[in-house]
Amino acid sequence: MVRSVPQPVSPSTRGEPVIQARGLAKRYGNLVALAGVSFEVNAGEIFGLLGPNGAGKTTLVEILEGLTDPTEGTASVLGLEVTRQPVEVKKRIGVQLQASSYHQYLTLKEILDLFGSFYPRSADAMELLRRVRLEDRADARIGQLSGGMKQRFSIVAALVNEPELVFFDEPTAGLDPDARRDLWDIVRGVRESGATVVMTTHYMEEAEALCDRVAFMHAGEIAALDTPSGLVRSLHAPYRIHVITSEPLDAAAVRGLSGTSEVEQVESADGWVTAMRAAEAPRVTSALARLAEEAGGQVVDLAVLPATLEDVFLSVTGRGLTD
Amino acid sequence: MGPLFGASLKMIVRDRQAVFWALAFPIMFLGVFRLFSFDSFGTTELLVVTQPEPSVAQQTLVDALQRVDFLEIRTESGLTEAAALEVLDEDRADAALLLTDFEVGEGLDARLLHGISDPIGSSATVAGISSVVDSVNIQLQGGDPPITFVADSIDSAGGTSFFEFLGPGIIGMGLMNFATISLAGSLSRYREEGVLRRIRATPLPAWRFFASVVGAYLVVAAVQVLVLTLVAEALGANVLRGGVWFLLLAVFGTMIFLNLGVIVAGRVRSRGAVEGAANAITLPMMFLSGAFFPVSQLPDAVRGAVQALPLTHLLRAMRSLVEGASIVEQWPELLILAAWVAGTFLLARISFSLRDS
Repeated sequence: MVRSVPQPVSPSTRGEPVIQARGLAKRYGNLVALAGVSFEVNAGEIFGLLGPNGAGKTTLVEILEGLTDPTEGTASVLGLEVTRQPVEVKKRIGVQLQASSYHQYLTLKEILDLFGSFYPRSADAMELLRRVRLEDRADARIGQLSGGMKQRFSIVAALVNEPELVFFDEPTAGLDPDARRDLWDIVRGVRESGATVVMTTHYMEEAEALCDRVAFMHAGEIAALDTPSGLVRSLHAPYRIHVITSEPLDAAAVRGLSGTSEVEQVESADGWVTAMRAAEAPRVTSALARLAEEAGGQVVDLAVLPATLEDVFLSVTGRGLTD
Repeated sequence: MGPLFGASLKMIVRDRQAVFWALAFPIMFLGVFRLFSFDSFGTTELLVVTQPEPSVAQQTLVDALQRVDFLEIRTESGLTEAAALEVLDEDRADAALLLTDFEVGEGLDARLLHGISDPIGSSATVAGISSVVDSVNIQLQGGDPPITFVADSIDSAGGTSFFEFLGPGIIGMGLMNFATISLAGSLSRYREEGVLRRIRATPLPAWRFFASVVGAYLVVAAVQVLVLTLVAEALGANVLRGGVWFLLLAVFGTMIFLNLGVIVAGRVRSRGAVEGAANAITLPMMFLSGAFFPVSQLPDAVRGAVQALPLTHLLRAMRSLVEGASIVEQWPELLILAAWVAGTFLLARISFSLRDS
């Protein structure tokens, strides 16, 4: 067993695609899990697959991991055809599966040593545990860990073979916000150590905070693919405006303003709250101030927010992330 | 294979359920059966062979024996000893009492032949008849000279007690339960918890996974035989006579039950159902294959069916070794067991695939 410290990817390989998927499709009888997906993942990036449950994220990842054969299409991972050389691919990738799935009768250190033994080279178990602050839990078993610890462990267990490419499937599912942020730092650390990261998630703020590029998955297809800010910019109405006025605004007039959409008005303790999406901010906000005066009142509060990935997802797929 | 083999060993030892089926369960059986005094109950079919014209003493003895509750008496006159032995061999009676008058005035000789086909009853029979003879002697006091009573075991190994019969049976039962129930349970647990899937995401070839896991079970089975043999020996079952071949034979037979475990885990999807299915296979086999009671005591129709069960053949060979026979003499059983190992292996291969996980 060769033990070595992770080596950063050499600059020359950075930027070259580590994954090239061409027309990947997977059908189970009449059920279409994946409907022909093509994309590339570049070396050194954190690539996010975002979509609701059942969108095909896990199927896509499992094809790339060599766990499932596609019905159609090809995928090259680290320059190897996955369906032809699955074992060679598996030696060089790291895999974290959706359910944290490890032997209940082994300690954390024993599991890492065991999984390390499956690879031609492997990292030191204690070193790995230190990376996710679990070194003092080396002799604990999976069942004795908290949810956050389990996820940290399943991430580090994907790194036993010092992979060039790591797949994380819903790494923060079911965690509280603190534990989730903690895990984001760990994922960033994985990328900094030189690996490319492909992760699935259905938390849009996670994709926004963590991913260099995001692919929206919907009904077995990639509906959009860009950087998070690029996706937001692509919206025809990339802003959210919330205005609170002392008197109700003429809703029809607000809808009539050029570039506004999804206008809603409710009465609250602070006054009348009118929310809308807008294509641009300055002209709409001054028009709102004028409408407030016309209604015999004034603007009490005004907030202009950038649209979120959730808004993008909604406009691209016609449905929300949480179903 | 080393690390996974070692890890599999650790996992078996840390799995309380596996340890229960491997050791606690059979040891419990050994202990419970040791407590019972089986030799004191049961009905014995006794063939009483009188002379063509029975004397008064013979008649008195037969009458007295007929009053004993646990004896079912059948009398025949004029049978030779060889003919009586044949009756015992064919299980038409549990014991035979041969009555022979000595020369007039010198009394009556009562010779009991009892075998091990009814291990529960044989010592009770000896004790019961002996006390009847004593009371008849008192009744006849003053008249004829006394009846002399001799009991001969017709077992070649010099008398096997029921507990000695049970020893290999319980060891075989323990092996079967451990192998089938624990392996099926842990494979289905691995599948349900996603461990198999996680392993499939590594470059480890499937055959190495199975070889390591099954290898670890075989090693634990060997330790299990050793421990159970020592416990049974300490309780008086005389199983150490079987020697090293006893151990090797037991481990060889365990391969059948491990294959059965893999088949069950492969065919039955839900984990709760796997445990039920594994029990449904082992429980009837435990009772029908002669672990506790001689197969010869089953009704004829069933007796034919139990020849189809692998545990029947494993136990027969294990008992023969304990009774002092050589391993070479066991070739017919070994052949049947080898066929079972091969057949169940093939079925296991097509039943369980890592790709299903």
